[in-house]
Amino acid sequence: MSLSSPAARSVDSPVVVDRGDGVAMRARGLSLGFGSTAVLADLDLDIHRGTITALIGPTGSGKTTFLRSLNRMNDKVAKHWHRGDVLLDGSNIYSPGVQLMALRRRVGMLFQRPNPFPMSIAENVLAGVKAHGIAGKQHYRAIVEARLREVGLWEAVSSRLGSSPFNLSGGQQQLLCLARALATGPEVLLLDEPTSSLDPITTEHVEALLRSLAPALTIVIVTHNLAQARRVSNRTAFFYQGRLVELTDTTKLFESPEHPETANYVSGRMG
Amino acid sequence: MTTAGAGAAGRVPDNTPLDLYGRPAWHRVAAGYVGWGACGLAVALIAAPLASVLWGVIGRAVPVWRWSVLTEAGNGQGGGLANEIVGTLFILAGVSVLAGSVGVLSGIYLSEYARGRTGAVLRGASEVLAGIPSIVLGYVGYIALVIALHWQYSLAAALITLSALTVPYIAKSTEAALRQVPTTYREGAEALGMSPLRSLRRITLKAALPGITTGWLVAMAISVGETAPLLYTAGFSDSLPSLSLTHSPVGYLPYVVWTFYNYPAKAFQSLSYDAALILVVMVLVLIVLARIVVAFTQRHTERN
Repeated sequence: MSLSSPAARSVDSPVVVDRGDGVAMRARGLSLGFGSTAVLADLDLDIHRGTITALIGPTGSGKTTFLRSLNRMNDKVAKHWHRGDVLLDGSNIYSPGVQLMALRRRVGMLFQRPNPFPMSIAENVLAGVKAHGIAGKQHYRAIVEARLREVGLWEAVSSRLGSSPFNLSGGQQQLLCLARALATGPEVLLLDEPTSSLDPITTEHVEALLRSLAPALTIVIVTHNLAQARRVSNRTAFFYQGRLVELTDTTKLFESPEHPETANYVSGRMG
Repeated sequence: MTTAGAGAAGRVPDNTPLDLYGRPAWHRVAAGYVGWGACGLAVALIAAPLASVLWGVIGRAVPVWRWSVLTEAGNGQGGGLANEIVGTLFILAGVSVLAGSVGVLSGIYLSEYARGRTGAVLRGASEVLAGIPSIVLGYVGYIALVIALHWQYSLAAALITLSALTVPYIAKSTEAALRQVPTTYREGAEALGMSPLRSLRRITLKAALPGITTGWLVAMAISVGETAPLLYTAGFSDSLPSLSLTHSPVGYLPYVVWTFYNYPAKAFQSLSYDAALILVVMVLVLIVLARIVVAFTQRHTERN
């Protein structure tokens, strides 16, 4: 499948890039929990290809757990169980034969706190490339430069690619992690409150970056920052107590939500 | 009603003025002195024996030191320590490889895979092994390897016995070090689609290296200094160790320190001082080498 980007578009007039049915990932009757606690209850949800979907909701609403179910990061949590399917391009990622490594190459993830590996800056960018044997040694330099340029970090770090990433600022570290995630060429990128530990200027930079990546990449972002959800996303899903209350165009969800719970939350009366 | 009044319920009354410049109460001052005094005493209790040992060893060895002890093998009248030095280095290298690999692999297993009852049983077994007196292990090695397997006094018997003694230390420190590696490293590697083995090799083990090295150093220090298990397994030899693993006894420095010290002849007593000095230097060199390796591999970590 091609990942080439169609014509750029603005966030205000979302154009769903249509490839086939236009759905990159789909949850079907997904329930998920740990031990006797159910965190997600019977979820049906489509992630449209080439768009940014924001997941919002109060703490404990299940949005992060849902995000982590899209690349099966919950699997290792003690007493994890699930029912229902999560489809990536129509195939169930919870099928017995699914290779987690291959899944996670196609569905990348960025965490709340920057987590560079204890290796040089360049090695960080290449970590996934090497793990998946994506390119030969002769391409390494080019990949490092391209990915760091893509996230806007190249100018700042080009002279110290061999040094420790932990001397970078928090924002720069997060951008490095983004470059690392992009380097494996994922189709879907999951973001778990990626800017919650960053300053406003870096946050703005990351948001602009996400918007520019979106047509070629399907992005799902969990955020507590409603303004951010409004700024970056095409569609927004409101989670409440483990259920999906509403998923619709961002503008509609914020301006004329169908459900009273959504209205309460987005207007600040709840959560 | 003012907010101060409303919030005051359950609070400490606000009528004591906050004195930022006054002297603290006498009992706090006293407690401070007692605390610092206890710390200082503890440091002295550790440092004094160390200084005494170093002083005793260097003070005795330097006046009788001959550089030729490094190159001459022993002979009936004294000679040098070359055979014991090479023997000790062989033992160190062997234990480093044998106990190092078994210990690190055990530690990885305990930290990453052993769950619940299995883990508890294995950890308990490892602690029991660590608690067995070294002379008992030496005797077991003697019966099992030297006698039953007909290896006679030999390098292989010594290595296996010393490794059994040191593996628990390396396993324990490896396990502890791996458990301290931040979850964010593991999650990051997982989310990137790294295989568990690759994540372990490239990230987790590397981050755990300082802790693993500490355990390894303890194991090396034990191997350099242990005498009892070697008496039963390595035997002793006045000539340079042969390269055969079995049927060939090996000389080692602690034996010299322990035995020659009681010989009437001055030459032997001097050799015993020299051997003690060389042992101390060996341990220091090991510590420095380990520090250098750790500093090099940790140059990309958060602490730098």
